[in-house]
Amino acid sequence: MTITHPSTDILILGSGASGAAVACRLSKSGFNVVCLEQGRWIKPEEFPNEHADWEIQARTNWAFDPNVRALDVDYPLNVDESPIDPLMFNAVGGSTIHWTAHTPRFHPSDFRVKTLDGVADDWPLSYDELEPYYDAYDALMGCSGINGDPANPPRKERPMPPIPIGQDGERMARAFDRLGWHWWPSDSYVNSVPYRGRQACNNCGNTGLGCSRGAKGQTDVAIWPEAIANGVELRTESRVFRVETDAEGKATGASYYDADGEENFQPANAVVLAMNGIGSPRIMLNSTSGAYPNGLCNSSGLLGKNLMFHPYAMVSGLFDDGLQTYKGPLANMILCQEFYETDPSKDFVRGYTYQVARSSGPVSTACGYMFGRVPWGADHHAEFNRRFGDVTVMGVIGEDLPEEHNRIELDPKLTDSNGIPSPKVFYTLSDNSRRQLDDAVENAKTALKEAGAAHVLATRLLKGAGWHLMGTARMGADPNTSVVDRWGQTHDADNIFVVDGSVFVTCAAVNPTPTIGALALRTADYIDRERADLKS
Amino acid sequence: MNLTDGEFLLLASVMDIIVPPVDELPGAGEMGLAKEAEELAARIPEYGESLHRILEALSLEPSVRVEGGFAALDEEQRMAAIEILEANMSKYFDKFVDLIYIVYYSDERVHERIGWRSGPLQPLGWELPAWDPAILDKVSKREPFWRRV
Ligand SMILES: Cc1cc2nc3c(=O)[nH]c(=O)nc-3n(C[C@H](O)[C@H](O)[C@H](O)COP(=O)(O)OP(=O)(O)OC[C@H]3O[C@@H](n4cnc5c(N)ncnc54)[C@H](O)[C@@H]3O)c2cc1C
Repeated sequence: MTITHPSTDILILGSGASGAAVACRLSKSGFNVVCLEQGRWIKPEEFPNEHADWEIQARTNWAFDPNVRALDVDYPLNVDESPIDPLMFNAVGGSTIHWTAHTPRFHPSDFRVKTLDGVADDWPLSYDELEPYYDAYDALMGCSGINGDPANPPRKERPMPPIPIGQDGERMARAFDRLGWHWWPSDSYVNSVPYRGRQACNNCGNTGLGCSRGAKGQTDVAIWPEAIANGVELRTESRVFRVETDAEGKATGASYYDADGEENFQPANAVVLAMNGIGSPRIMLNSTSGAYPNGLCNSSGLLGKNLMFHPYAMVSGLFDDGLQTYKGPLANMILCQEFYETDPSKDFVRGYTYQVARSSGPVSTACGYMFGRVPWGADHHAEFNRRFGDVTVMGVIGEDLPEEHNRIELDPKLTDSNGIPSPKVFYTLSDNSRRQLDDAVENAKTALKEAGAAHVLATRLLKGAGWHLMGTARMGADPNTSVVDRWGQTHDADNIFVVDGSVFVTCAAVNPTPTIGALALRTADYIDRERADLKS
Repeated sequence: MNLTDGEFLLLASVMDIIVPPVDELPGAGEMGLAKEAEELAARIPEYGESLHRILEALSLEPSVRVEGGFAALDEEQRMAAIEILEANMSKYFDKFVDLIYIVYYSDERVHERIGWRSGPLQPLGWELPAWDPAILDKVSKREPFWRRV
C-alpha cells in the first residue's frame, strides 16, 4: 500500500550541487520545500581521508565510478556503448562529496557559439544575466581566488584569497610565463581561510574523497545546514522512480521507495528535478503516462539526447627534483586558457582549458593513475622511486559539442536495487573533440617540457573521466528543439523544472558546477518572483 | 574468494616476482601480503575474477606443468611464464597487478621505506608555502583577451 504524505509547495528531487541551491533559496521566501534524496548523510568520520586505508577505499567502496562502488544506493549504468564512464556520488551532497571543486566560470562567448562560430546553438540567456547568480553561488559554497585574470571578464571580489599554488604550481606558472601563455590561480570552492563556520583546507591532497574538515564546498556542509534551519525537509533514503502527472500533464508529485522498499507518494504544487545530467533524464524517461507516452515533458523528443561529457585527455610530466607533488589539493592549482577560443588556423572549432593537477599517494603512483602503471619485476622499485611525488598533470577540458546520437536511454534489463531501470549510455567521441584533444596534448607536452619535465606521457582519452554530465534536457526558446525554457521550466508543464547539468545547451571548456549552481539559483529566483501561485 | 593452499602458495610466489625484494624488504609474497590480496579480491568482484583467472591460467601454462610447478622454475622461467599471461590476458593481468600493488603500497613497512607518512591524511594534512601574489607579475600585465560578444 502506498504511503501518501501531506502536500508541499516545492518538491526537489536530488540534494547535490543544484538541488541544495534551490532548496536554500526558496526556503528563504516562505515556500514549503521537501527534498527527496536516494542517499544518506555521510558522517565526517566516514570519509576515507580519516582512515589509513584511504587509497584502498578510493578504489572500492569510495570509487568515483558507481559501477565499481556498486553500493545499493548507486544505480548501475550500462556503459558498453561509451568510451567514457560516467562518474557520480549518491548521498546528501550528491557528487559534490566527490568533486575536486575546481570552479572556473563559463566565458561570455560560451553562451553564443552559434553566432560566433556557427556551431551548436546559442543559449537563451547571456553571461551578464547569469553573473549575479555566479556571485551568489560562489558566496554560498565559498570560492577562493583572485581578481585580474586577463582571460575572463572582470568580476566581483572572491569571498576568499587564493589557495597556495605550491612550488609545483609555481614551476608550471613560470613555464607558461616563458612561453607567453596565459595562466591564473584556479578558482576553487576550497577554503583558503575559515569560511562561514567551516575550517580552512590543510592541503591533505585528496579533495576527491570528501572532506572531513568541511573545507571543501560540499552542499552537505555548505548549504544544507542553512536550508534545513530555514525549514526545508530533506528526506533521505528516498529513491524516486516516477514523477506523477495529471491528465493535462501537470506534475502532482513524485513516487519513491523508502529505506524499507515501501512505495511512497509525495504530492506537491511543483517538482524540481536535480538528480544530475543522467539521473534526471533517467527518471523522466521512466515517468511515462497518458500525457507523456515518451517520457516526462518529452514532446521535443530530445529528452536524454545531446549528452555531453568533457572528453578528458591527461598529459603528465615526470620531474626529478623531488617536490612531493602529492602535497596540496589534488586538482586545485592553476589553469591555462590560452587555447580557449576558436582559432581559424586549426582544424577544429572551440577550444580547451588546461587544469593543472597534482599527483597522489603510493597506490595511485604504482597503479598509474597519473603516469601509467609502474612496471612489475626487476625495474619496479627504481621506476616507482622516480615517479613517486614527482608528477604534475595537465588535464585537458575540451568543449564537447552537442550531438543527438550521444544519449542515454533506459536499459531494457539492468536495474537498481529497487528494480528501477538503469540508464544505458551511448556516446561517440566526435572528430572535432578528437582533434581538439590531439592539439591540446601536443601543446601540453611543450609546456611540461618547458617546465623541466624529464619525461612526458599522454593519455589521449581518459575512460574514467565522465565527471561532468550535461545536455540531456536542453534549454531553449523553441519547444520543438529544447526541453526547458530559459528559466529551467519545461515547455510541456509549467510546474516542472529541471535545474541540473541536463539543461546545458553547450558545455564550454570549463568544469560545469558553478554554472549549474548559478542556473539553479536563477530558476529559484524566478519561481520566487513569478510563481507565487505555487505557494499554498 | 577462498584460495586453496596450492593457489595461495602460487599467488605468494608470483607476488615475489611482480614486486621483488628491495633493501631490507623481501618480495611482496614473502612479506605475507597474499592474505591481504585474497581478502581484497573477495570484496571486489573484478579483482576476484582477475585473481582467479590469472592463477588458473598460470597453473595450466605448459611451462609451469612440471614437477614442483611454478615454485620449481628458476627466476627467468617464472618471468617468462608471467609475461605470457601479460601478453595474452592483459585485461585480467592489469587488474591482478593492481591488486598486488594496492596491498603492497598500503603496507606500513613499505611506507617507511619510501618515506610516506602512514595513516589517515587527516588531521595532519601537509604544509604548503603561503600564497605569494608576486608570481602574478607577468601574467597580470597582459591585456584582457577574453572574446567579447
Ligand atoms: C570525481 C568527481 C570530480 C568532480 N570535480 C569537479 C570539479 O572540480 N569542478 C566541477 O565544476 N565539477 C566537478 N565534478 C562535477 C560535479 O560534482 C557535478 O557537476 C555536480 O555535483 C552536479 O550537480 P547536480 O546537482 O546536477 O547533481 P549531483 O551533485 O550528482 O546530485 C544529484 C543527487 O540526486 C540524487 N538522485 C539521483 N537519482 C535519484 C533518485 N532516483 N531519487 C532520489 N535521489 C536521486 C543523487 O543521489 C545525488 O545526491 C566532479 C564530479 C566527480 C564525480
